[in-house]
Amino acid sequence: MSAEAVPTSDAAEVVLSAEHLTKRFGDREAVADVSFDVRAGEVFGFLGPNGAGKTTTIRMLVGLARPDRGRVRIRGLDLAHDFRRAMSHVGCIVESPDLYRYLSGRENLVHFSRMLPDGAEGRIPELARLVALNERLDDKVATYSLGMRQRLGIAQALLGSPDVLILDEPANGLDPAGIREIRQLVRRLATDRGIAVFVSSHLLSEVEQTCDRIAIIHRGRTLATGPVRELVDRVASDRVRVIARPSARAAEVLRAFGPAEAAAAVPAEAEGPIEARLTKERIPEALRALAAAGVEVYAVERSLASLEEVFLEVTGGETV
Amino acid sequence: MRFSGLVENEILKFTRQRRFRVVVLILVGLIGLIVFAQSRSRDRFRSGKDWHVETQERMARMQNMLRDNRTPPTWRRWARFELDRLKYHLDRDIDPEAVSGPLFARGFANAASYLLLPLLAIVFASDIVSGEFAQGTIKLLLTRPVGRANVLASKLAALALAITLTILFGGIVAYVFGGIAYGYAGWAAPALTGFRVAGERLDPAAVRSVALWQDTILAYGLAWFASLSVGAIALLTSVLLRSTAAAMGTMLAALIAGTILPRLAPTWEAQKFLFVTNLPLPDYYSGSPPPIAGLTVGFGAAVLAVWALAAVAAAFAVFVRRDVLA
Repeated sequence: MSAEAVPTSDAAEVVLSAEHLTKRFGDREAVADVSFDVRAGEVFGFLGPNGAGKTTTIRMLVGLARPDRGRVRIRGLDLAHDFRRAMSHVGCIVESPDLYRYLSGRENLVHFSRMLPDGAEGRIPELARLVALNERLDDKVATYSLGMRQRLGIAQALLGSPDVLILDEPANGLDPAGIREIRQLVRRLATDRGIAVFVSSHLLSEVEQTCDRIAIIHRGRTLATGPVRELVDRVASDRVRVIARPSARAAEVLRAFGPAEAAAAVPAEAEGPIEARLTKERIPEALRALAAAGVEVYAVERSLASLEEVFLEVTGGETV
Repeated sequence: MRFSGLVENEILKFTRQRRFRVVVLILVGLIGLIVFAQSRSRDRFRSGKDWHVETQERMARMQNMLRDNRTPPTWRRWARFELDRLKYHLDRDIDPEAVSGPLFARGFANAASYLLLPLLAIVFASDIVSGEFAQGTIKLLLTRPVGRANVLASKLAALALAITLTILFGGIVAYVFGGIAYGYAGWAAPALTGFRVAGERLDPAAVRSVALWQDTILAYGLAWFASLSVGAIALLTSVLLRSTAAAMGTMLAALIAGTILPRLAPTWEAQKFLFVTNLPLPDYYSGSPPPIAGLTVGFGAAVLAVWALAAVAAAFAVFVRRDVLA
């Protein structure tokens, strides 16, 4: 693995691709015709609500489940026919970082390095430092916090120097500090080592902060795939939350742009949140109007549309 | 990546789980208890006569049988062996009916082959695949660049090793504890073996006299074979049920059924094709009357082998193909 940065562009090599993946459970199509490409050096977000088919898709990506239709290619190798060679390029955490709780962190890493070509065991000290577990490596995993287990899981996934790293909801159950650590780690792995990182999440804010490109999955179908900025703009609604003082005055100014409501529990003169409707283009204008009215603005956040709304928008209002 | 590395992994997991220590404690505790209880109760069965006198009387009876022309040749053979055995003991001033450490160890193989050793095999095997499902580690195990068949083969190898070591350990503990109570000498003593049951009568036609140590190795070998086949079947239930409790429960129910059935339905002959009926191989070999007519060591070993091979084949077929969704 070269240490130099690999530019994320269309020119970068596609290292993981899903082609028309379909999985049925009885009559229900859990995943239907899901396709996407992940390139070297990029963080690819797989966004969808719980139950959308993310984990089922991941299980097909790593060979735990067989697709009823479609195929997975890893560095051009067909997973169904060349499982061992294909998986030698992949590190993954599926669903949750489940490791042997009765073994120490080091024993877990030794265990999984024995399932890789020789030399993986030699990378354990370096990887332990990378995920900041070197101090606790000889403690039993049962004593680890969820964040530590998540990091140990990532170290395990990196043992084989993979080109593709697949992480299923890596932020789940972590505290904000833990989420930030994982996020930084993922970015570093993609940018510094040129690893293609595939991250699933049900949180838009999460993929927005980490990913270069995303695919949105809902009810087993991909709604849209593309650069994260583009898609987030598309799915962001005109709902805006403004924190300002005095809140009543701020709401009054914002009403000129559309409906705006200050939080009822906040006294009119105090600092408080206001729910307003503003399109992206009109936000600067609204801020100038607030400043002119002597309102102090502390924060402006765009809320995101629910995926249900995105789905309606993408499919043109078709019901499913 | 080498296969031996995968087996090493399985051994690491075996030895680091509590069940391994529990099995060791069960063996030590149980054998200790049996030795203690036996040494307490034996004395009551003595006739009070000096054993030298008793043995000489028995030898005289054997000599009478040999002199009598009406004695059938097969019984003549047996009487000659028995006479040799008694003489061997008398010459060395050993009570032929006394238990020795080696005899106790030999007897343990028979006693443990019904339930204890199969039970321990089940304790190991039930968890071996379902445990990975329960912990969620199956997802990592099967997403490494190793074929699923290799993963299961390494588990099977480690299971066979664990069962082998458990039986060896059980035999050694039985000898050590038996030795404390009855002395350690006596491996060279002749043991009569090869009795067959023909109808209602004991048929001594194939009786042989072998050294006790040979007899013991054979008995443990048979117990080992029976336990391995139970392990193979338990592996299949572990693969199929993906739950350790369910797998263990199923196998226990089968074992218990195996001890009850011959008593409740002794005339139902088809049960000789069940694996549980054939577990007491060492008993069939020593010539205790089998619970069902027509059971012999060879037949029992063949039935167990068929069950074990079928179970392993089915376990591989399912494990390699089935989606991991749990």
